[in-house]
Amino acid sequence: MKYDGFFKKAKAAGIEEAELYVSTADTLSFSLFHGEVDKYSMNESMSVIARGLVEGKFGAAACDVYNGEKEDYLVREIVRNARAIENDDPQFIFEGSPKYRKVNTFNNSLKDVPIDLKMEKLFELEKKIREADERIVDVAQVAYEEKASTTTLLNSKGLKLSQKNNYYVYYGVAVARSGEQTKTGFDLWLDNDFSTLDVDDLAEKTAKRAVSMLNGEPCESKVYPAVLDPEVVAELISVYVSSADAEEVQKKSSFFIGKLGQKVAARCVTVEDRPLDRTLFAKSFDDEGVATYNKPIIQNGVLKTYLYNLTTAAKDGVESTGNASRGVASVGVSPSYLVMRPGKLSREELFRKIGNGVYITELSGLHAGMNPQTGNFSLQSTGFLIKDGKIDRPLDMITVSGTLGKIFEDITYVGSDKKTFPMGISCPSVIVRKLTVAGK
Amino acid sequence: MISKQTAISVLNEALSTGADYAEIFYEDSQQHNLSVENGKVETSSSSSLCGVGLRLLLENQTVYGYTNRLTKKGLMDLAYALSRSFKGERKITVTALSPIRVKNRNPVGRPYADVSLEERIALIKEGIDEIDSMKEPAIVRTIGFLTTHRRLVAVYNSKGKWFRRVTEFGRLGYSVVCADENGMETAFEGPGCQSDISYFREKVDPRRTARKAAETALMMLHADECPSGKMPVIIGNGWGGVLFHESCGHPLEASAIARGLSCFSGQEGEMIASPLVSAYDDSTIPSAWGSIDIDDEGNPGTKRCLIKNGKLVNFMIDDFNGRRMNREGNGACRRQNYRYCPTSRMSNTYIANGKSTPEEIIRSTKLGLYAVGFNGGSVDPATGEFNFGCSEAYIIRDGKIEKPVKGATLIGHGNEILKKIDMVGNDLALAQGMCGAASGSIRTNVGQPTLRISELTVGGRGGELK
Repeated sequence: MKYDGFFKKAKAAGIEEAELYVSTADTLSFSLFHGEVDKYSMNESMSVIARGLVEGKFGAAACDVYNGEKEDYLVREIVRNARAIENDDPQFIFEGSPKYRKVNTFNNSLKDVPIDLKMEKLFELEKKIREADERIVDVAQVAYEEKASTTTLLNSKGLKLSQKNNYYVYYGVAVARSGEQTKTGFDLWLDNDFSTLDVDDLAEKTAKRAVSMLNGEPCESKVYPAVLDPEVVAELISVYVSSADAEEVQKKSSFFIGKLGQKVAARCVTVEDRPLDRTLFAKSFDDEGVATYNKPIIQNGVLKTYLYNLTTAAKDGVESTGNASRGVASVGVSPSYLVMRPGKLSREELFRKIGNGVYITELSGLHAGMNPQTGNFSLQSTGFLIKDGKIDRPLDMITVSGTLGKIFEDITYVGSDKKTFPMGISCPSVIVRKLTVAGK
Repeated sequence: MISKQTAISVLNEALSTGADYAEIFYEDSQQHNLSVENGKVETSSSSSLCGVGLRLLLENQTVYGYTNRLTKKGLMDLAYALSRSFKGERKITVTALSPIRVKNRNPVGRPYADVSLEERIALIKEGIDEIDSMKEPAIVRTIGFLTTHRRLVAVYNSKGKWFRRVTEFGRLGYSVVCADENGMETAFEGPGCQSDISYFREKVDPRRTARKAAETALMMLHADECPSGKMPVIIGNGWGGVLFHESCGHPLEASAIARGLSCFSGQEGEMIASPLVSAYDDSTIPSAWGSIDIDDEGNPGTKRCLIKNGKLVNFMIDDFNGRRMNREGNGACRRQNYRYCPTSRMSNTYIANGKSTPEEIIRSTKLGLYAVGFNGGSVDPATGEFNFGCSEAYIIRDGKIEKPVKGATLIGHGNEILKKIDMVGNDLALAQGMCGAASGSIRTNVGQPTLRISELTVGGRGGELK
C-alpha cells in the first residue's frame, strides 16, 4: 500500500498511534473579460496532514508531496511537536464506527461534458448579463470552476475511509451605473449535474442584483420590523451555530455556555445539521472517521446539542456528534449541511405582514463587524424600504446592528422560500420584529 | 530547485503554441506554528509546501497551472497541457538563463530552523506570564502564538532570466478573551517582521504586547455601545491605516485599474484626495513585514508614490495588468504561494506624515469618534464602498477623550473619504496584517499618522450621538 511506509516508520520512531488525512484535488477554471478568455487554469494538488500520539500527546505535520523523504519529515516533526505539547486533553485515534451510511457526492458525467461546451455557456452568460438591462455598463468577470476531490482517512488502528466529491460553479459580476452611482451584483450557480444549468436564470439574477440597488439612499435611523433575505439569514446562522462548538463552550468563549436545553431562538426556528441528505455537501464520516448523522441543533427554539469531536466529547462525557473538522495543528468542529426549516408564507406575504419596514438583502464585512464570541454586530448592509407591504426603494449606505441572540429570539415568521448557499446552508427568509438600522 | 536545463525545456514546451511569455515559479517552504493556551502548549505543528506554478501569457490572456509532480516529466506534462490553450506558432525560444541580481534588504539572520521549540515556547510564555500577573478575574482565556516561515522561491522566465529568493519571517500574537456579567470581549495584538527571532526580543516586548491585548479587552468589556450616525472621525496611527489600505489601496492595484473596474479608473493626474494627503506603497523598507527585494516576476521592489499632495500619480502594477495600461510592472507582483496566479498587490502602504500633532487633532474636535483599533474590513473596488469594524474606539467631546465605546462600524466610499481628510498628524506608524485577495493571503504593512475625516457614517448599537 502506498502509505504503509509512513505507518512503519512512525511505529519504529516510537509513535504509539498515527493517522493520515490525505486530500487530492483536480481543478479546472477559466474566466472571461470583455468577450475574451483572460484566465485559464488547470491544477492538481495534494495535501497530507499527519498526526501521531507520543506518550498521549498529539504532534502534527503536513506536506503537499508524498514520498519516502516526506515520510521521514512527517515522522520526525510529529515526534518533535508531540514532545512540546503540555495540554492534558484526552486524545484519540479512532477505531471506526459500526456502520457508515453511503452518500453520493460524485457525478461521473461532469468530466464527460466537453470543455468547449462549458466554455460556450460562459460566453453566453457574459453576453446575457450585458444584455439583461441597459443600465449594465460592464461585466467585471464571469468565471467557471470545476473541482473533483478525494478525501482519504487512514490510521494505525486499521481504519480506511474514502469519499469522492465533485462540483462545478458558474459566477458573474455585473456592474450597473446610473448617474454618478455604481453598483455591482454577484450571483452563482453551483451543482455537480451539468444538465441543471440555467444560464438565463443566472444572468438575470446577476444583473438584477446590480441594477436593483441603483439610486439607493440611506433611510432614517431607527428600529424597523425587517424581512431578512435567505442570504442574510444564512450568514447569521453560520455565526450563530459556530457558537455551539463544544470547544468554545468548554473554553468559556461562547454565548451558548449553560444554554443546552434552553431557549436560544423563537419557537418557529429549527436548525438541523443534515450531512446525510442528498446534497453536494453530504458526508458519511467526519475528519476523525466518526460516522455522521442528521440531527437538530436548535429545535423549536431550544438548543439541543453542542457540536463535538472525540476530544471535546470525552471531556463532557458524551459521544462525538460526527462534526470533527481537520486543521493542520488541531481538530475543530463544523456542521456539514445546515438546514433551517422553512415556514408557510411566501416572501411577498412576509412583506405584507410587516407592512412598513425594511428588507435586508446583503451584509458586508462579517469578519470585522461581527463579534463571534458575543454575537454583537454592526454591519454595512443593503436592501430595500418596504412600504404598504411592497418593495419601495433601494437603501444605500446603511448599517444594521444588534445581538445575534436577540435577533433569533425576535423572529416571528419563517418564509417558504428556501435557498441553498455554497457554504453548505439552506434557509428561508424570516421576519425579525425589531432591527436597528442606522442611515440618515 | 529545478535545474536550469529542465527549466529551459519546460519554458520552451510552454511557449510552443505562441505564448509571448512563460514563467516557472518554484517554491519550497516550511512553516511552524506553536500555540499556548491558558499557560499550556496546546498545539505544535509543522508544514511543508513544495510545488511549481507555471504561467503563460499571450497578449491579455493568462494561463496558469500548478503541480506537486516536480520531476522533469511532471513539469513537461503540465507545460504541454497548459500550452494547448493557445493555437498559434512559437514566437520565442529560450536558449539560456542569466541571473537577476537585486539588493538584499531583508537578509536572513539566525535561521528559524535553529530556534528550538523550548526557546519559542519561552518567548510566548513571557507574554502569557505578564497577563497572568495582572490577576484579572475577567480574563477567561489567553492564547499566545508564534508562527515562523522559511520560504525559498526560484523563478525562471522566457526573458531568459532567473532568480532565487529566500525569506524568513515570523509573527508573535496574543489573543485575550474577557467575560463577566457585562458580556464578553476579545482583543488581539500580533507584531510581525521579516527578520529572525531576535526581533521579538529587541524590537518588540512580548510582555508589553500581551498586556496591551489584555488591557484593550478589559476596557472594551466595560465600554458603552458606540452611537451611530454621521460624525467627524479621527483615525489613530498605525493600524488605522487599514482604512486606507482597503478603501484606497485595493482600488489602486493594476488588477482593478487596468480593467476600468476601480473607483479611481481614469483619474491619474487628478486630485483624488485632500491636498494634505500623500500616500506611498514602499516595498524597500529594510526587514519590514511587507517588503520584497524582488517581486514574483523578477522586477525589483520599489517605493511608489501613489498620491502626491492629493493628486493621483501611480499604482501598484504587475507586468500582465500593465499591458492594458501600457505600463511596465513596478515590482508589485505577488502571490501567497505556488497555488496562486500572481497579480498586483500592496507591500507597505501608508499615508505620509503631515504637520499636526495628534493632540492638536483631538483638541480641535468638538464631538466625534476616535477609532484606534480595527478588526479588519472589506471593500468593493468598483464602487469604493468599504466597511470596518473597530476593536478600540473612544468618543471625543469638547476636544478631549471622553470614554471608550465598543461595536463601532465605519462605512463609506473610499473616493469620498480621501477628500474629507482635514487634518493629518505627524506620528506615522506601521502595523502588520495579512491581506487577502485574488492571489491569496500575503504579508502587508498598513500605516498612517493620526488623521481626521470631517464626516463619516458610523454604525453602532448605542443610539444617536448627542
